[in-house]
Amino acid sequence: MEIIQKRMRKANIWPYLLVLPALLVVIAVVFVPILNAISMSLQQYDLRRPKQIAFIGLQNYLQLFSDKQFIASLYRTVLWVVFGVGFQFVFGFALALLLNQGFRGRGLVRSVSLIPWVTPGVLIALMWRWLLDGNYGVINDLLQRIGWIESNIAFLANRTTALPSVILTIVWQGIPFFALMLLAGLQGISHDLYEAADIDGAHSLQKLRFITIPSLKNTIFVTTMLRVIWVANSVDVIFNMTEGGPAYATQTLSVYIYLKANTLNMGYASAMAIVLTILLLAFSIPYLRSMFRDQGV
Amino acid sequence: MQSIVKHSKYSLKRILVLYLPLAIVLLFLLFPYYWTLVTSLKPNHELYSTQVVYWPVAPTLNAYVQLFGQFNFLKPMWNSFVVAMITTALSLTVSMLAAYSFSRFRYRGRKLLMVLFLTNNMFPTVLLLIPLFTIMRQMNILYTPASLVLSYTTFTIPFSVWLLNGYLNDLPMSLEEAAMVDGANRVQAFMRIIFPVLIPCLLATGVYIFMQSWNEYTFAVLFTNDRNRTVPVALKSLIGQFGVQWELLTAGGIITVIPVCFMFFFAQKKLVAGLTSGAVKG
Amino acid sequence: MKKLLSTLIALIMMLSVASFAYAEDVTINYWFWADNDAYAETMQEMIADFNATNGQGITVVGEQVPWDGGGYSNTVFTAAMGGGGPDVASWKLTATPSFVANDLLEPLDAFLQDWDGYSEIESSLWDVMREVGDGEHVYVMPWNTQVLYVYYRPSMFADAGLSVPTTYQEFLDACAALTKDGVYGFGMRGARGGQEPWGSFIYARGGTFADLTTPEAVQGMQDFIDLFQKGYTPPTAPSDGFSQIIDNFKSGLTAMTVHHIGSSAGMVETFGDDVAAFVFPAGEGQWTSMGDTENVMFASSANKEAAFQWLAYLATGKGQETWCKVTGNVPVSSSVKALDEFQSNPFMKVSIEGAPYAGILPVLDTTTEWISSIWPSTVQQALLGEITAQECMDILQAELYQ
Repeated sequence: MEIIQKRMRKANIWPYLLVLPALLVVIAVVFVPILNAISMSLQQYDLRRPKQIAFIGLQNYLQLFSDKQFIASLYRTVLWVVFGVGFQFVFGFALALLLNQGFRGRGLVRSVSLIPWVTPGVLIALMWRWLLDGNYGVINDLLQRIGWIESNIAFLANRTTALPSVILTIVWQGIPFFALMLLAGLQGISHDLYEAADIDGAHSLQKLRFITIPSLKNTIFVTTMLRVIWVANSVDVIFNMTEGGPAYATQTLSVYIYLKANTLNMGYASAMAIVLTILLLAFSIPYLRSMFRDQGV
Repeated sequence: MQSIVKHSKYSLKRILVLYLPLAIVLLFLLFPYYWTLVTSLKPNHELYSTQVVYWPVAPTLNAYVQLFGQFNFLKPMWNSFVVAMITTALSLTVSMLAAYSFSRFRYRGRKLLMVLFLTNNMFPTVLLLIPLFTIMRQMNILYTPASLVLSYTTFTIPFSVWLLNGYLNDLPMSLEEAAMVDGANRVQAFMRIIFPVLIPCLLATGVYIFMQSWNEYTFAVLFTNDRNRTVPVALKSLIGQFGVQWELLTAGGIITVIPVCFMFFFAQKKLVAGLTSGAVKG
Repeated sequence: MKKLLSTLIALIMMLSVASFAYAEDVTINYWFWADNDAYAETMQEMIADFNATNGQGITVVGEQVPWDGGGYSNTVFTAAMGGGGPDVASWKLTATPSFVANDLLEPLDAFLQDWDGYSEIESSLWDVMREVGDGEHVYVMPWNTQVLYVYYRPSMFADAGLSVPTTYQEFLDACAALTKDGVYGFGMRGARGGQEPWGSFIYARGGTFADLTTPEAVQGMQDFIDLFQKGYTPPTAPSDGFSQIIDNFKSGLTAMTVHHIGSSAGMVETFGDDVAAFVFPAGEGQWTSMGDTENVMFASSANKEAAFQWLAYLATGKGQETWCKVTGNVPVSSSVKALDEFQSNPFMKVSIEGAPYAGILPVLDTTTEWISSIWPSTVQQALLGEITAQECMDILQAELYQ
């Protein structure tokens, strides 16, 4: 035990060498582009009017506060992330626990559970758009057959249903991610712990709470944090389903940034992107803190 | 008598806690795929109808014939496969090293580096495209698979490092300690003890990297040309300005999924339940 | 001796031809989008034809780039700004201002001067090309156009006892009268791209794009809102884009919708004789949207003479004829337009009939953003009753002319 602790403290060149390849690749490719974006955010940088490009300090950032669309998009991003990742996690964790049990055809079930994740993003949005179609979508048809609704709902053309609809789609797409990641984590938990609990007469929920979740703590932290970052930044599902509409109802911050960047107002888009990054970083800090603390830095 | 009651109770419990929830989740996950399949089998005149049809009246495999014939879908699939496999191998190796360093050593700058990796993926890529394109051009790898491998590696490393770091932290340190006390050096301890236990996690992270590279569109459309177009680009070209070629698009979606699931079917056998008893000493 | 001499001459000629061809051997990269895989194949055949017949050692290499809901222009822009990109690319007029502002396109005036195809293309079209650039130079080579008109189902009109509308008011009445039995009178496009059919409503009330806030223009907007709110369009209209209005029409959900000849082949495949078209009818004014596809040459091209040969082949040469025949678009070349195939096609007839009223949105540097996000989200708000027609038009005006 002591040897290890000593070796760990006495860090030599090795840990740096191990990180170096990853660091080199990342720096070589994204360092310059990100610096470029930071510099654009401090300029009036509209590529539609390149002759007017000029340094304007923090003006792009100040403008954000008076931009109603920015505030509203930020709020939608919170809903999108909380419900999107929340449901993904709950169903993904449940699926992981189910897939960790022994039953006939488990391998097959594990493979087909990955399908939403494997499906190309292009197709996901179009398929769900069709499933949710307000005129002849199959979801409307099913809901009518079981008698929950009387007439078709135009899910994507309606302010109140549009955001839940795109959230449903991202939940569908993200469940396999959590299922697989947590399933892999479950493999590392020793049988002995469960056997000991069985002897003590613990029931399933207790085992889940006192063994499974604590043993997966780091995995759960990391996967949710990464997924939050990923979902907060994802554009293609929303953009291909609703383009942020109707009437901005599904325009998250990342969609807003995407639209601004694609209409070439790079300065303003960069400022928003940097704010989004800072907010995500701020969100991660409690996670990071607790993780670093647990590891006894 | 008693045993029968017990048995059926056991079965009922199993249905309630295993089969029923599993069936519900699977239904949700697979129904859109089923619908994609139905669409791909519909002949042209059945595609447009105000009636919801749960199975085509006259199913046809025309779309698949066209997909593999005229449309030559195997080519983009092969391109995607090559890029995804190379990226996975590369990104996984590099990330593994970095994750081990973060998890098992304590040193100056460690936390900063970890946060740096994380921030990398927080920034929306749409703003990085023009300079990235320039970099690829200057490195002379534009319009080759190498440009995709490089960009996918870059954008999957941060998450992979973090994922693996999370898994490593959940593995009890006592495993290696025991080995090292027994006289093994660090590399031996890693290879003999950690690596076998980590296989499921490497597999999961590998799947993550594979999927990211398999499904990516924005870089793919910029950094490739007709020789090395990947699946998402090929599928997207079926969505024209004036119409979607539904039958080809859905057939493409169905086909894309199959080899990946097939591969995973064999790989998932490594996801064996739990550590073998007694692996943890002390 | 004679034989020897002739052999020698032949040899010299062969060598000189070979070396001439070698010196001129150039490759032109061409990016294009195709609306389906059959069109993509046609394009590759045209390229092969050009390569085989140009006789100047020019080899065009065609790269298909997905349309991606208009993302095509962004893909081309990123590549061009990043120092890459093609020699020639197919084009949408609306993308022109930002490319010109960044000096990415090559002005074609010098090439056009000595080109005998110039007069094949109407001078009004050249004026449009000049206007979208910097007002002085032509950066964009016309290729083909599409005139928007109204598709309708003759059988549904017959059932409702209606004849083809000849005035705007009759058109509005028809939208109401055709709405019954689960069918909606008008397939409205409320998502991106909807500004094209929408423009016809504004002009029909006597409004113009020059000032969207006039009472006439606002009334046109009000008509648009009323069609939706009174239920004469599918309830999905605010989120319906091109794909949905076509699918809705093809599935028999709507009786009329506005699109152009590009979708006529599919319509005929679905309905046979039971689909026809009329020009969006006149009210106080009359206007319909001209869809456009052009080609441009990039300033970075190293082989501009050769690139122009390819542009010319597409605009007035064999490429013009082949492409317009296969895609059904309206040719820009007068000699191709005169061909029988184009004269006898009923949808082409309606397109040509509507051509005098066809126009485009003002192409400003704000237009792309206006089309891709301002118009859809603002009009959707109006359709959903969150803002009035007047408020909607005030926003649209301010954002277009900022």
